[in-house]
Amino acid sequence: MSQKKLSIRIDGELISALEGQTILEAAKANGKYIPTLCALEGLTPVGACRICIVEVSGVGRLLPACTTPIQEGMSVITNSPKLTLYRRISVELLLVERNHVCAVCVSNGHCELQSMATALGISTVRFAYNYPKLPADLSHPRFVLDHNRCILCTRCVRVCAELEGAHVWNITSRGIHARVVSDLNQKWGESASCTNCGKCVQACPTGALAEKGRAVEEMVKKDDSIRSLAHRREVQA
Amino acid sequence: MPRIQDIGAFSAVREAGLAKLLPPVPRVAIGMGTCGRGNGAEGLQHAFAEAIQRSGMDVFLTGVGCFGACFEEPLVNVRLPGKPLLILRRVQADDALRILHDLSMGNITPEHIYCKIEEWEHITGNLRYGRGYPEVPSWNDVPFFKGQKKIVLRNCGLINPDDIEEYIGVGGYQALYKVLIDGRPEVVIEQIKASKLRGRGGAGFLTGNKWEFLNKAKSDRKYIICNADEGDPGAYMNRNEIESDPHALLEGMIIGAYVMGATEGIVYVRAEYPLAVHRLNRAIEQAHEYGMLGDNILGRGFKFDIEVVEGAGAFVCGEETALIASLEGEAGRPRPRPPFPAQKGLWGHPTNINNVETWYNITPIVTRGPAWFSETGSPKSSGTKVFSLVGKVRNTGLVEMPLGTPLKTFVYDIGEGGVAGRAIKSVQTGGPSGGCIPIEMFDTPVDYESLAQLGSIMGSGGMVIMDEENCMVDVARFFIEFTHSESCGKCIPCRVGLNKSLRILNRLTEGAGTMHHLELLDELSRYIRECSLCGLGQTAPNPVLTTLRHFRNEFEDHIVARRCLAGVCEELALSPCENSCPLHMNIPRFLQLYKEQRLDDAFESVIMDNPLPSSTGRVCQHPCDNRCRRLTLDEAVNMREVHRFIADSVFNSDRRDEMFKRILARKLEPTGRKIAIAGAGPAGLTAAFYLAMLGHDVTVYDSKAEAGGMLRFALPEYRLPKSALHHEIELIEKLGVKFIFNTRVGTDISLNDLDDRFDGILISIGTWKESGLHQPGAELKGVYPALNFLEAEARGEEMPIGRKVAVIGGGNAAIDSARSALRKGAAVTVFYRREVKDMPAIAEETHAARDEGAKFVFLAAPHRVIGDQKGNVKAIEILKTRLGEYDKSGRRKPIPTDEIQRFDCDSVIYAIGESVDLDFARASGLSLKESGTIEVNRFTLETSRPRFYAGGDVTTGASNVSTAMSYGKQAARSLDLQLMETNRWDKIFPVFEYEQTPPEEPSPSRRHNGHVIAPSARSRSNAEVVIGLTQEEALDECCRCLRCDVKAANPS
Amino acid sequence: MKKVKVATAWLDGCSGCHMSLLDMDAVIISLARKIDIVYGPLVDAQEFPEDVDITLVEGAVSSQEDLNRIQKIRQRTNLLIALGDCAVTGNVPAMRNSIPVNKLLQRIYVEGAQEGKTIPTLGVPPLLKHARPLREFVKVDLCLPGCPPPAKSIVGVITNLLEGKKPEANLTLKFG
Repeated sequence: MSQKKLSIRIDGELISALEGQTILEAAKANGKYIPTLCALEGLTPVGACRICIVEVSGVGRLLPACTTPIQEGMSVITNSPKLTLYRRISVELLLVERNHVCAVCVSNGHCELQSMATALGISTVRFAYNYPKLPADLSHPRFVLDHNRCILCTRCVRVCAELEGAHVWNITSRGIHARVVSDLNQKWGESASCTNCGKCVQACPTGALAEKGRAVEEMVKKDDSIRSLAHRREVQA
Repeated sequence: MPRIQDIGAFSAVREAGLAKLLPPVPRVAIGMGTCGRGNGAEGLQHAFAEAIQRSGMDVFLTGVGCFGACFEEPLVNVRLPGKPLLILRRVQADDALRILHDLSMGNITPEHIYCKIEEWEHITGNLRYGRGYPEVPSWNDVPFFKGQKKIVLRNCGLINPDDIEEYIGVGGYQALYKVLIDGRPEVVIEQIKASKLRGRGGAGFLTGNKWEFLNKAKSDRKYIICNADEGDPGAYMNRNEIESDPHALLEGMIIGAYVMGATEGIVYVRAEYPLAVHRLNRAIEQAHEYGMLGDNILGRGFKFDIEVVEGAGAFVCGEETALIASLEGEAGRPRPRPPFPAQKGLWGHPTNINNVETWYNITPIVTRGPAWFSETGSPKSSGTKVFSLVGKVRNTGLVEMPLGTPLKTFVYDIGEGGVAGRAIKSVQTGGPSGGCIPIEMFDTPVDYESLAQLGSIMGSGGMVIMDEENCMVDVARFFIEFTHSESCGKCIPCRVGLNKSLRILNRLTEGAGTMHHLELLDELSRYIRECSLCGLGQTAPNPVLTTLRHFRNEFEDHIVARRCLAGVCEELALSPCENSCPLHMNIPRFLQLYKEQRLDDAFESVIMDNPLPSSTGRVCQHPCDNRCRRLTLDEAVNMREVHRFIADSVFNSDRRDEMFKRILARKLEPTGRKIAIAGAGPAGLTAAFYLAMLGHDVTVYDSKAEAGGMLRFALPEYRLPKSALHHEIELIEKLGVKFIFNTRVGTDISLNDLDDRFDGILISIGTWKESGLHQPGAELKGVYPALNFLEAEARGEEMPIGRKVAVIGGGNAAIDSARSALRKGAAVTVFYRREVKDMPAIAEETHAARDEGAKFVFLAAPHRVIGDQKGNVKAIEILKTRLGEYDKSGRRKPIPTDEIQRFDCDSVIYAIGESVDLDFARASGLSLKESGTIEVNRFTLETSRPRFYAGGDVTTGASNVSTAMSYGKQAARSLDLQLMETNRWDKIFPVFEYEQTPPEEPSPSRRHNGHVIAPSARSRSNAEVVIGLTQEEALDECCRCLRCDVKAANPS
Repeated sequence: MKKVKVATAWLDGCSGCHMSLLDMDAVIISLARKIDIVYGPLVDAQEFPEDVDITLVEGAVSSQEDLNRIQKIRQRTNLLIALGDCAVTGNVPAMRNSIPVNKLLQRIYVEGAQEGKTIPTLGVPPLLKHARPLREFVKVDLCLPGCPPPAKSIVGVITNLLEGKKPEANLTLKFG
């Protein structure tokens, strides 16, 4: 079945994209960059981080590019002083929410949160730090989960449910107390459903999920493998 | 009961229902909503049942839902055959027997009568109860119901919610029958669209369009959902609707299901509403039994069922996608839209979700047609809306009003204004994520667009009234605390943004905020509003944004002055009394010091906080009385009389010189700075005292021959003996303050001159200009401005007033004039254009005037003064007024009628408002406000001209002694800081060691008031009317203090 | 031409940022023609001077003494630069923040000590409840993140400032 093609404008430039694509997909297919954090190609978008917000003419609100489907004639602005400000606030809020101490982090230098902060020109945050007391789960033989570094993007939740089919991860509690849990809030090492595949670790944008034995700066994620796996699945389907 | 399959069976049930509603025997129905039960309705029902059994009377006893007037619960309605339905209020179990007895005699019990209903429009039918009881007001003649239009609440409080036959009796399920017979869903959708009904859950989306989406969606399974997850604090419309009339919900849903082609219906209701859940389940059971649900509904072959699902109490589940997630067994977290529920909803099938109240509007629209429906309300917001009116308002409850009704109607007409005479300042609409609308905007019509324009929302219909005892910073903090704790945590703006907002607001209420925090809060709030995933986050910042917009002053007070005027933020106040005192006297301290028998220390504590303690001890408006925590136990501590006692005890004893020396010893080294003060009134004297204490060289100019200002020349001797003032001024003189009298600043000495000779200048000349009487005859001999009259009296000059005096006005100057005239032997009548409760005068003084023989005529405005041939006053004509709409002061505007009354009199004294001498103000070259007062920085009291400060009535307009003094104090502090560039203020204040233990278990005790000389003995004498407390009484009052200033209990 | 007065200060940090500052090697000689280093761990001055043009502060505010110092520095400095992650974000010193101070001291000086198991009080400034970045206490004009910030960046910023350019535009640092 051939999909219908739609014409939309991104930052003034006319492009054509397939009906059913999101703004993010359409932009990516046409080489347009929209910053993202919780989105990972191959996983269902959830619109949680609000980094990919864009302005759509005629729409009063800002829309997340990752979940908004394109419509014929739509005109999208991906960058403006307001969008940059709001993206910065999102990243600043993530930086103060938990304890992101880059200097001692396995993902230092390879962290999507860190590089997003740099890309947005953040050299300091304007909000007071929360410094919450959060545990790390070291019970798994091969991996660690450090809640101090988690940004609740739910990539781990989705990759495990959608690609691995194990559905180990979920989110417990609400609001500022929300936290990733394995199974029914058991220790990861004791999880009956975990297949030890490590997809969650590779999908995690920060040092929250990491391989054991890595020292500072040593944890380089292979999220490309998630993308290609997802792509293969799609082709098979 | 067999299922109804044809019109014949239907009519039979209807007759049966009607027979229960209009029985041939007396009917007694108890209001059994949650509000009624909370006030004892269950006990009441037992009492009635028992009384009926004992009396052997044939009475039909039943239960109904709530009629809306929750503040009058328990409500009971009773009806004798052929007579109107009577609604009784605040009925208690002990009343049952008597009410029953009266009923048996064909009488009504007068004490509990609230109103009557002769005929009721159920929309689906009409009930004629009967005529009679001319002395009882009809329901919509009582203030709470006036203007209400009950469409949604058409059956609430009138029919038994547990009996489907009563619902059918008033025409229920007829609309369903009609729709099924007609068999054309598209017609109904057109009707709903034409009615312009908008979703009552808050967003206000057009219901007809939403229905059309689902109608057109192609799927073998479609769901309709009723959103009854009413989680707003203070909102209980939906609870009441379901508890009182569950079948109306079912009928709306069944019609909707048929029209949209839905196969299953779900009511998602809060588990915290057990009674609503119970009644709903019961109603569903009955609907099955009577053939309204299940297979082959009403014999028309339509199949549909409704299931009740109880929510686990998450506020966010009111958001439709979160609600669907919750129904699917997931955590209640919203999902991105699109896809919208109408495309992909519950279990992936097309789904329609409507709020409870939206469903309640369906049957009326189908029954009466869209044109009838859109007659009510405003063009863009048709129909009515139910609001829960709560907070600081006299009448609270459920109110159903046409959309577009102005806010003030809710607040002042239905709510009947503030509680205990306190001024209302804001309304918050739309629940925790609504905005706060200030009193200046109470003309706003309540509809979707108007509220949105003010940054608020309709929401589900919460309406919380706030008064002067609510701190708007704390209000914003409270609501953010709520939404913060209810945020699901999925998206960053809502999860972390609200967390940071809350932390900033906490800092502000603790007095640790900065102006930078306000900018950050504003930016953060806009970000949360624009970037959040769902409605919860998108609306959560509304309370912050609206309070920042409309109540910025309060935020600045918390930051700059570290004050919370409402007295809510505890960290910013020593105690409620201290916070309410314009001078911020440390009241608990002087009470405790005197309690410890330390008169000298107590005196020092008092006079350093308030340099005119003897005068203010007599004439202060004592706001502390209204804030004393002792009020919750018995009566307020008489703080004013105690500090008067302490001051008088020292001033009138040989301790005086000793104490003066002690104060003088606290004076700081001379600074060499020279300060001029214009005006020796309360503000000027206070500033002079502190500036002298701080070591400055102070010169006070006054146009009069003596110091004291209003204290000396406006307050009569019998209220404030000049000897009291004398001691206070003596101390100020001893501090080195120089007085130059008979010199008017601006005329006798120019501002430029002062500027050349002084380092700082304070203008505190007061408001000596009496607003003119503009009515004809004002020029006649014997017409006097009150201030001139009072001043002449103070000087001992004779002013001819004759035997009969008319006083015009309701403020302190009017009352003082009346009492002074009485003392000259005249008969006095006071005319005031509003009501007694609206009088600005101190209540005690008004009572005193009345006791001394003054007559009062209210709702009377001057019309003209009539003179004789010689040009002397002969009579006054007054124009009767009536009370119109509420104005911005929260009082009702007097509106002149054409009724004129004549009173013979020999003179007229008018006190209709004092203002600044405009000539001076204009000539000063200082920036003025519209009112003619001098414009100053609120915190520093700097005027537009460098080195010139202003404070007191000249900046505020006429106020009162202690308020004027507080400006003097503030000006002194600010002037010193500017001149010396360092904070030396605290250096002049003594520190005391004293007991820091609150009293154990206080027991009720009587308040001691100052002794009053009997009216007969005082009415012709200038001797002081109120004599102070005795030593024992003063000590007793000190012991009554609960010591709210002690924050942490002492470890023993 | 009058030389620009530059000071450096070291609060709760590891001195790594000062090491990085020294890493500018020979550049310091050319810089020294334009600036005077008037205060800091690298020079002798005992008292923080008045009217300093630029101060680079390393480390988080962790104790009462740090707080007093940063307030004084702020009063006497025209342009205040937070140098390195500890000053900008709290970084490693802030890792103690989730532990109550008394528990922390107990763990280190009593439970963790081999001998003399007492919490020192003499000559040691009391710790604040949290170690927090400079910005939460005083106004910071410029942040130079990095652990440590590379010498190049530090030189870049100082040079920019001396040339009267806005330094932030030239920052190509990673955050954290």
